[in-house]
Amino acid sequence: MNKKKVLELAKGFRGRSKNCIRIARERVEKALQYSYRDRRNKKRDMRSLWIQRINAGTRVHGVNYGNFMHGLLKENIQLNRKVLSEISMHEPYSFKSLVDISRNAFPGNKNVVVPPRKVTF
Amino acid sequence: MIFRMKDRFGLLTMHTPIRRCLQALNREPQPTLSLFKDPSSLRSFSVAAFSNHNISSPLPIFTNSKPASAFGKWHDPRYFSTSKQDDHTKKADIHEEIEDEDDSDDNYDDEDEEDYEDDDDDECVSVSSSKKVYTAEEKEAEATAIGYKVVGPLQKDDQVFKPYEPAFAVVQIGSHQFKVSNGDSIFTERLKFCEVNDKLILNKVLLLGSASQTIIGRPIVPDAAVHAVVEEHALDAKVIIFKKKRRKNYRRTKGHRQELTKLRITDIEGVEKPQIELAEKPSESAKKEQEKVPLSA
Repeated sequence: MNKKKVLELAKGFRGRSKNCIRIARERVEKALQYSYRDRRNKKRDMRSLWIQRINAGTRVHGVNYGNFMHGLLKENIQLNRKVLSEISMHEPYSFKSLVDISRNAFPGNKNVVVPPRKVTF
Repeated sequence: MIFRMKDRFGLLTMHTPIRRCLQALNREPQPTLSLFKDPSSLRSFSVAAFSNHNISSPLPIFTNSKPASAFGKWHDPRYFSTSKQDDHTKKADIHEEIEDEDDSDDNYDDEDEEDYEDDDDDECVSVSSSKKVYTAEEKEAEATAIGYKVVGPLQKDDQVFKPYEPAFAVVQIGSHQFKVSNGDSIFTERLKFCEVNDKLILNKVLLLGSASQTIIGRPIVPDAAVHAVVEEHALDAKVIIFKKKRRKNYRRTKGHRQELTKLRITDIEGVEKPQIELAEKPSESAKKEQEKVPLSA
């Protein structure tokens, strides 16, 4: 039954969209369209999140993301951003060793300014 | 196909629909093959053919015997069969029927199917499936290309499942990388050459880490292995693929379940796993960490 399936997919919708078939059908179709599009967007969003996390992890050690990835590339280390972000979160010592290797391989621009750490009293 | 016929006989719209359809049939036996493959068009066709009873001229005889048979046994298994086995065998039968009755060579679909049948008859493989028979070496080669090796089935007295050890590895399977540790379970793309309860060795290891050592491969660490056991071959949850163009009367729905394999990681080889006694101060064990750089990738 298509009506039954549509109303099942419309669970949690707002107002009459979850109860009345004519309105639910429209909202469910829109929801399915969004999910099709967002299955592709999710890959982009996750990669962007991993890059942000790696950036944060490397800046703790005084290297920024671009120089870090360039150094890893030079050393032919083929770890992808997903596991790099996981290592930066859960394995701090291993991540520091990676940052050191990258820094040796590519010391980077002399003009990189590391923001001064605020000393809390 | 019905729309095309109406265009062709646009001047003859005053004719009864049945005569138009039958004229099309008499002239071109080919379109009927594709016509009858689609059950919706078949339905409309049968309605048009038999609804009009006021024709003065007798029904022209179908030159092509196929339409009668198609009307008679309309049980196209492609649309109704649920088991894949039936699909393959019944598809083979139907293609044989089409070959017997159709003498012309204009239908390219049929030609392709005939070619496949000739090649695959020796291997007793059905027409539509593309099952390749792998030799043992090909299996090994493909498996190692993806990054794993099948060792063998799990025996009853194998003590494979150990308690948790604080060591991790980054392993690559196909194009996906996973950070795994002892006792983890991961979902990968369906691995072809192993069954449930098979032991695997994943040999594409990119990074090994433990409390005292970090080994970084360039790109892989030689002589490192991660042992795993195939837990199950499963299907992912269903995703509904829905496409719609608004105001253009276009809407398509499709369901899809991806095939996965669930692996349970049992052992990581190649790192030192120091026993951390509780009597030691925690700062000492933290400072013991070294970094070992392998000589060649």
